[in-house]
Amino acid sequence: MTPTGNIGQQQSPPVSSAWTHGPLPANVRVGPNTVLTADYAFKRFRTKAPDALVIGAHCTMDGVHFAIEAEGRVTIGDYCYFTNAVLLCELELRIGSYVMMGWNSSIADSDFHPIAPAERIADAIACSPLGQGRPRPPIARRPVILEDHVWIGPNATILKGVRIGQGAFIEPGALVTKDVPPRARVLGNPAQIIGEVT
Amino acid sequence: MTPDRKLEWDWFPGRVPENVTLDETAYLETTYSFELFRSSEPDALRIGRGASIYLGVMFDFGLAARARVGDYTLMNGSRLICDASIEIGDHCLISWNTVFMDTYRVPVEPALRRPQLEAATQRAPRSVGADVPARPIRIGNNVWIGFDSCVLPGVTIADGSIVGARSVVVEDVPPYTVVAGNPARVIRLIEPGETSAVSYSTIQRV
Repeated sequence: MTPTGNIGQQQSPPVSSAWTHGPLPANVRVGPNTVLTADYAFKRFRTKAPDALVIGAHCTMDGVHFAIEAEGRVTIGDYCYFTNAVLLCELELRIGSYVMMGWNSSIADSDFHPIAPAERIADAIACSPLGQGRPRPPIARRPVILEDHVWIGPNATILKGVRIGQGAFIEPGALVTKDVPPRARVLGNPAQIIGEVT
Repeated sequence: MTPDRKLEWDWFPGRVPENVTLDETAYLETTYSFELFRSSEPDALRIGRGASIYLGVMFDFGLAARARVGDYTLMNGSRLICDASIEIGDHCLISWNTVFMDTYRVPVEPALRRPQLEAATQRAPRSVGADVPARPIRIGNNVWIGFDSCVLPGVTIADGSIVGARSVVVEDVPPYTVVAGNPARVIRLIEPGETSAVSYSTIQRV
């Protein structure tokens, strides 16, 4: 993989060049023929770690929001096609090749806040303008893994710790809270297996 | 709409496609809604009398797509993924981040998606075009769709019904029925009341 991927440069942009600009952060590695669009792609890209985001070749990341916190790492394989997906990462997202994510779908590898009420009060204070850098309580986070050939429909959400098996089909609007076996087809909130992909 | 099919108030430098009929009393916020519009049907989209299409609505239309938005219907931030037909009736209230898709655009079998994803990178602008069968969506009159809901291929929602927020509608909804949930289930029935009297008087007043 070479750092030759371009941002917002293509014979004809995928959506509109008007929405496509901004420098690629130094710790992002993008393979050849991969295209990223949208000026908000890196608005919440807070990590400075080397290779925090590595995207393979021939991918289309159209309007994707890479919200990656300081310790987050995201890897994406080849030939992936994401449309306005939201990737929320505090730990690790490992995404294979030939994965599709539909409009307004999202992945989160963290709860973002603690469960226990007292800890949530402490977290609200730590996050507030009056927090003055006081440490936040520990927060549950677990990697999310999407194996090759997974399809995720529009408005679907994948929560922390989930592994989605190869070729699985996540129906639009599904809320996935636990592992999905390879080639399973899931629907609902919480997502349930409704069949196989064949 | 100006003679060259621009909108005077538009922040986006686009035009209303030739095969779109926008009623002179309808409001379209921006031509950005047509950025993914590829339909070559002669009468691809009609937007009715007094209808409002606000920011964020995206007509993601394939080559043969054909759709209707009825009179007085309000749409806000919806994604219409259409390869065949999406019909939305009169007096509908369509909330934000809703998805209406008459096609999955891709085969469910992963091995068949692989060549499509490879072909997509050769296209400019990029798109995943597919020959999977589309199944038309029909939304009746006076239907209210809550935010973040999805209407899946082949679904008909009959007159007067309500779809609760964040629902995923996978099967037909009878008239004057409240459905909610993912997948959506019937919650209760509602009384139609004097709907025709109200709608006629409204049209006469305006």
